[in-house]
Amino acid sequence: MADSETQGQPQAAPIAPEIPGIPAPPALDMSWARVPTARPAKPTIGAEGFTLKMADAGEYAYAPDHWPYENDTPRGSYPAKDRGLPAPYTIYEKAEVWAENCADLYEAAIREQWKPATQVSWSSIEPLPDHIEASLDQIFSNISEQQYNSNAVLMGWLKEISYGYHEVKLYLATQTFDQARHVEAFRKRALANGGGLGVQAPGFLSRAVFAAFKFTELTVYVNIIRTAFLLALCERGDAIGRSQADRQLFELTANDLRRHLAYGVEHLRHYLLQGDDAKRRNVRAWLERGEIMLAADLRRDRPLREALILVLGGSVQAGKTALRELRQAQLRRYLRALESATFVGHEQHVNPALTEIIDNP
Amino acid sequence: MAVSPGILQELRKESGGEDLDLSWLDRPLAERGLRVAPGKRGLTLEDIATSSYGAIPASTSNQSGRMRGAAPRSDAQHTQMIWPSKAASWSESAMLLYEEAVQRQWSSAVDVPWADLPDLPEEIELAMSQLCTFLTQVEFIAGDVPGKYAPNVSGEYFEIGLFLASQIMDEARHLDVFRKRALANGIGLLQAGPGAIGLLTAQDFTEMASTLHLVGEGFVQSMFRMGEMFAQSEVDKRMFRLAAQDESRHVAFGVMHMKYVIEMQPERRDEIHTYLDRMEGQLGTGSAQAGLTGGGQTGEALAILLGGGTSETQLREGYLKLLAIRKRQVNEYMHRLEVVGLGDRRQRMAPMMQALLN
Ligand SMILES: [Fe+2]
Ligand SMILES: [Fe+2]
Repeated sequence: MADSETQGQPQAAPIAPEIPGIPAPPALDMSWARVPTARPAKPTIGAEGFTLKMADAGEYAYAPDHWPYENDTPRGSYPAKDRGLPAPYTIYEKAEVWAENCADLYEAAIREQWKPATQVSWSSIEPLPDHIEASLDQIFSNISEQQYNSNAVLMGWLKEISYGYHEVKLYLATQTFDQARHVEAFRKRALANGGGLGVQAPGFLSRAVFAAFKFTELTVYVNIIRTAFLLALCERGDAIGRSQADRQLFELTANDLRRHLAYGVEHLRHYLLQGDDAKRRNVRAWLERGEIMLAADLRRDRPLREALILVLGGSVQAGKTALRELRQAQLRRYLRALESATFVGHEQHVNPALTEIIDNP
Repeated sequence: MAVSPGILQELRKESGGEDLDLSWLDRPLAERGLRVAPGKRGLTLEDIATSSYGAIPASTSNQSGRMRGAAPRSDAQHTQMIWPSKAASWSESAMLLYEEAVQRQWSSAVDVPWADLPDLPEEIELAMSQLCTFLTQVEFIAGDVPGKYAPNVSGEYFEIGLFLASQIMDEARHLDVFRKRALANGIGLLQAGPGAIGLLTAQDFTEMASTLHLVGEGFVQSMFRMGEMFAQSEVDKRMFRLAAQDESRHVAFGVMHMKYVIEMQPERRDEIHTYLDRMEGQLGTGSAQAGLTGGGQTGEALAILLGGGTSETQLREGYLKLLAIRKRQVNEYMHRLEVVGLGDRRQRMAPMMQALLN
């Protein structure tokens, strides 16, 4: 009977000694204990512990298509009469943020968290020829900078997402923390072996990430385009890295990026399946914009291009061939992600600016 | 330290090498030759903040994505969102606290011994669910507020951005663990309160450090540290202990930021006092002397947990213990104020809180 909450109870005598200026506690009320919320079944704890999915069972699992509360009311609780200030959230539609796999990805991310300071075999790194070390550092600097951009902007979006989709907000918190560790780990590597940072990126895609008007647009740039390209690069970490530490960095990062891509794909699929042609049109516009910006970065970033050539091949010619293979693998990763998100047939419509730089890297 | 000209010449002479520029190897614009070895705590952010990479500028005109120490490009894209001054967000402890956060992550799924949750009287479990409903309600706010400022933090001060990400991760885990606790006992979530949206009104990073870190999280930290008093089992003790550890980092970050600002910009003292005035007003006005950590329902739930039941004797005992928690909250708050250089607040503090000072 939450309605009785503000009616109060007859005043009983104070039950604790008074301190000047401190009001005495009221008589027992407990109206909060009588609110009509769902009583969940007690969980049976298994090997994976008490997961979010287990906790949010029954009625607590239900995330409505539209979230009705403008403040921080937790989903499944009994809303307060006095809800204070309506929050600055702008996203109340499930279609704008939802992905079916959030709760699982959240727990997986926590299980798979790694610690760059102590879990990378830093002492395994041997001195390398100057131009190879400098080239590796250029690649590491680029990854560190990209992830800082993704991270900073994503953190800023959290305040837009209303409370009802807590699985999404929980998952995104793990993504920001993963990205922070990528910034950190690759910077550490660049400074660990006689090198330093390289040249900054042109920043066209980063600018688009900042400028995203919609959350789904942001995920297209960050979780689909940038992540697919970066993942394909990390998956070639054996060809790029020169030490156990390098390979660990690429492998651990790739593992995180697979989750980020999985969220991007699931969210995009949800967005597309919930919508009409307009949604498909939006996605096409975002993809085109993202592809053009990515192409601008790739075309202008001579240090990164040359670093990849020097690192990937035993000779310049071999490096160039390997770079083309890498770019093609990146494009395939990206197109495969779109297909999984039910955005099929895009290989025919990739922006020419991007196909040009993939074919002639 | 440039790459030797001989190697560059050979690379250019190779088949396919004619279109290589290689000026970035020839005349690198970022410092090279760093060889940072891991120390006792592995390879840390403090280890790599060395030489020019450790020179943290007091202000910056870097409006691009360039990370501290990287070589600039003339065509790099700009955004005017980036704060130019170090004092806007800097905290001396950020690197240390970030590394600690990475090392001390925990899992709400497996690091709390859920299977050992005992069967307790219903009134106790109801009270725990109510307390956890309050806690799970406010935890995301403590992530959304720092997140709001992350896009403004320059790559020159990237350690701040990294710390904020670690706080967002911690707060997510807090939301999650308290939600799980409310759902683990067959009771579920109960009455939501007025919440903490007000914290999102912060218009300035230092305002956030004052309102969220120093006051809001500070009070929660003191309460979690006394979690042994209201925990009903090892499950709860562990949950509050782990959460308290995280909150200590958040509070320390904010305290060190405020200390830095008050040292560097003493002209901001009065302004900062006004943020605290506002917070103390809000915190002090709650009915049932529960305002210091939530609404009236949370205070009552805490009293039941602290006293071990709802009989008059138990409640009396519960409210006495609650008062002890309040006292500790206020005194630890005063201690933080002294650390940041606002010891004069002892005289300015809201009377209801002042009454609890030692
Ligand atoms: Fe927290
Ligand atoms: Fe916190």
